[in-house]
Formats: sequence, structure tokens, C-alpha cells
Amino acid sequence: MLTQDKFVKEKEHKRLYGEVLKYITREVSNIMTALDTERVNDIEEIRMRAGRPLMVQSYEGDWFVKKNGILSKKHDNAYVTSMENIQNTLELMSQSSIYAYQEELRMGYITLKGGHRVGITGKAVVNNKNIKTLKDISGLNIRIAREVKGCGRKILNYLVNRKAENDIFNTLIVSPPQCGKTTILRDLSRLLSNGFSSLKGLKVGIVDERAEIASCYNGIPQYDVGIRTDVIDCCPKVSGLEILIRSMSPHILVTDEIGDSGDFDAIIKTLNAGVKIITSAHGYNISELKSRDEVLKLIKSRVFERYVVLSNINGPGTVEEIVDGQDMKLIYRRIEDVS
Amino acid sequence: MFLKIAGSIIVLAGCTMFGYFLSSNLSERPAELRKLIGHFQMFENSICYLTELLYEAFGKISKTCDDAVTGIFKDTVSNLSNAEMPASLAWERAVKKNINRTSLIKEDESILISFGKMLGNSDLDGQLKNIRLTIGQLEIQVKKAEEKRKKSELMFRRLGILVGSAIVIILI
Repeated sequence: MLTQDKFVKEKEHKRLYGEVLKYITREVSNIMTALDTERVNDIEEIRMRAGRPLMVQSYEGDWFVKKNGILSKKHDNAYVTSMENIQNTLELMSQSSIYAYQEELRMGYITLKGGHRVGITGKAVVNNKNIKTLKDISGLNIRIAREVKGCGRKILNYLVNRKAENDIFNTLIVSPPQCGKTTILRDLSRLLSNGFSSLKGLKVGIVDERAEIASCYNGIPQYDVGIRTDVIDCCPKVSGLEILIRSMSPHILVTDEIGDSGDFDAIIKTLNAGVKIITSAHGYNISELKSRDEVLKLIKSRVFERYVVLSNINGPGTVEEIVDGQDMKLIYRRIEDVS
Repeated sequence: MFLKIAGSIIVLAGCTMFGYFLSSNLSERPAELRKLIGHFQMFENSICYLTELLYEAFGKISKTCDDAVTGIFKDTVSNLSNAEMPASLAWERAVKKNINRTSLIKEDESILISFGKMLGNSDLDGQLKNIRLTIGQLEIQVKKAEEKRKKSELMFRRLGILVGSAIVIILI
């Protein structure tokens, strides 16, 4: 039996799924509508590669899609995506205005209305060692956006400093890909910005380097990132942090995927300005992070007061452990399922 | 006698006006071509400096006036929003639908259709080159149309007066 909560979630996902299909060429979207509805709820990615089978991906694995919409683990009889399918899809996604998405093509992705992201591969046109644009586009990866409101609630309890009023710990979220770190960052910024139980709403600034956290479409965040949140979209992290500190007087800065050179200085600068930071890094555990210079420097200088490690053992967003950054003591650990 | 004079004046005036009417038809084509050039320049401006999407830019253009030439842009937008089709097809259909309401000739039509082939499906440089090429071709058409107009306009007017006077002379 469906619980109310699950029912709402599934309905929401169906809506999002429908939203994405509008941007796919009719030949393929007809197949996708015929898909087994039970499975549809889990789909995270739709993959189109020219001359190769159409595929969908959920967190459990990937499937080939047959012409009648049946999913299978074997690739014979699967629907083969044509170059034309991809070109027509791209034309729909760009609303017949590929010229307007030049900058996005260069970065390799387009953000659709609703916050869905489409990864793009093709042949790069290079000019003076810089990618000018992509042509002969042959691969699309359509990632269906997910907004899991409330997923940050549990974590947030561990991030509030009870000793001081309205104080949040500097936090690093450590997670392998597709375990929901961006989703959790987004929910944390929404909760902090709107206010959460005893916590007053704080001013949050998001530096959205890859347009993933807020997923702006024409400058407007497609996700609910909170009422006191300012977003600077598609901006390099270092300059983005600087701009926000200088002009928007934030309490907390949120940014994704640290680890590039220059990040250390930018984060130290943020902390010197008295601003708290919540950010994320790729990795399976804390010790793995130490192999990366820029992150190691941050860990050594004890910048972060809390580490949150995620996995997808019980679905994306499973909290593995939460560690105190000052003495590296475990505060929370996931209890293994007895079954 | 009075009736004769009145009748011949009416015949003469009628024929002269008919001549003028024919000649004014000729001057419509260059005016329409110029309007098209203006629209293309506006399109260039919209995508180059305002980075607008195709439907936004065309929507803006179609609001500037309400005639057959502007109808091409208007119908392209509605074709795009109503059905899944590439911009080139949407444009071609809009051109074919509206061309008969204008005084444009086959040559102009083929310039417009070839403009549509690249519409929306290349990067900014490609779009700008395409627009400029089309504008250049249309300017040549304007020149040709003007020359034709100059020649034929006078001829039609004079012919009107001459035919009018010929009828009057024959009838008298």
C-alpha cells in the first residue's frame, strides 16, 4: 500500500519526468511514455548516444529500452538512437536557438526549465587551446532533477552549534557521485535560509559554479533554495565567494565540490570575513580526501568543524557518519541493518 | 456638348487613375523588401546583443507592424509553439503561407527560404553570417526593384493618360 508521503513523491516524480519528455524528440519520447510506470519512479538519467541503444539509469543500475517501451538488461532489440534523434532533441531543448546556448555548449551542458540538466558530448571546436563550441553532437545525458525537501533535516541537527545563538558549524559533505550531495546542500540552504525550528532564518549565499545547486534558468532558481538566499550562477568559485562576501553580507556561504587550486585561499578568506561555509567534496571517506592537496590543507588547518559522509546504501542520501572536525571524533554512525 | 465634355473628362480621369494605381503596386515591392531588411537587422540585434531566443526575437519583430511581411515572423513563432518541427521548416511554411499576400516575387521567396535553412541551428557567428548574407541579397533585390519601378512607373502613368485620351478622341 502506498503511504501518503510516497504517493506524493511518486506523483511529483511523474510530473518531473513528463517535464523532461517535452524536450525529447517525439520518436523517442513516445517510447519513454510507454515505459513501465513502476520503473519510471527510479529513473535518474536518460541516455541517448548516436548509433547505440537508448538507455535509462536508476541508482540500481542501467537498462536498455526496447521500441515498445519494455526495459531489458540485454541490448539486442533495443531502440537504437539516431544522430537525427539527438539533433532534433537538441533543437527542442534550445528552443530552436542553439546560438543562445553557446556558452553552455562550451561547458558541456544545458539546464532545462525545471532544473533538469543535460550533459552533452560531441566534437570540440578548438580555437587557441580554448573550446569554442561543440559540434556533431552525438551524446546526451538527461538527468532528471530531484528535489527532496526535508532530506537535510536530520543532518542539520548535527550542524547547529548549541552553545551560541544562530551559529552553524563549517561543514564539509563528503560523498561519492550520485549519492545526493548536491540535493542535500540545496535542502540545507533552504532550511537555513527559511529558518528551522529554533533557528532563525539566516542569509545564505550560493556560489553555483556548475548551475547545479539552484539550477538557474534565465537567472531564476528552479529549486526552492530558501527566501533569504542569493545565488550567483555559473560563477567561478573563487570570484563568486569574493563577490558575495563583498556585497551581499551573507551569514553562510554554500558552494559545491571544492578541491581546485585557489579554493583553499578563497575559503580562508571567507572564514576571515566571519562567514560560515557549507560545501562538498567528492570522495568515499575522509581519509581518501587527504590525497588531494587543496582539501588536505583545509583539513590540516582544521577549517571544518563537521564532516558528513554520504553513501547510497539505503538509497541516495544515506548518512554514513558525521565526524567532529576538531578532534576527529565520531558523532553519528549509521546502524547496519540487522536483516 | 456639355455632356460630351463631362464624359470625356470622366474617362480621362479614370484611365489616369488606373495607370497610377498600377504604378503604385510596383513601388510596394521595394517597400516590403526594405521592411524585411529592417526586420532582419532587428533580429541580428536581438540575438547578438540581447541574447534572446528565436521565439522571443521573432515575437518582438512581429509586434512592430501588422502586414503580410511581418506575418512571416508571426507565423514562424506560432508554427514553432504548436508543433514539434525544426525552425527551418517552421520558417519555410510561414514564408509560403504569406508570400501570396505580398507583392514579392519568386526570386525574393527563394532568398527567404534559403535564409531559413540555417535558422537557429548554428552558433552565433553562423547566424550572423547568414543574416548578413540575406540582408545583402535583399539589398540587391531592392536596387533591382527600384530600377524596375522607375522605368515602369512612368510608363504606366503615361499609358493611363494616353489610353484615356485615345478613348476620348475615338468617341468624339
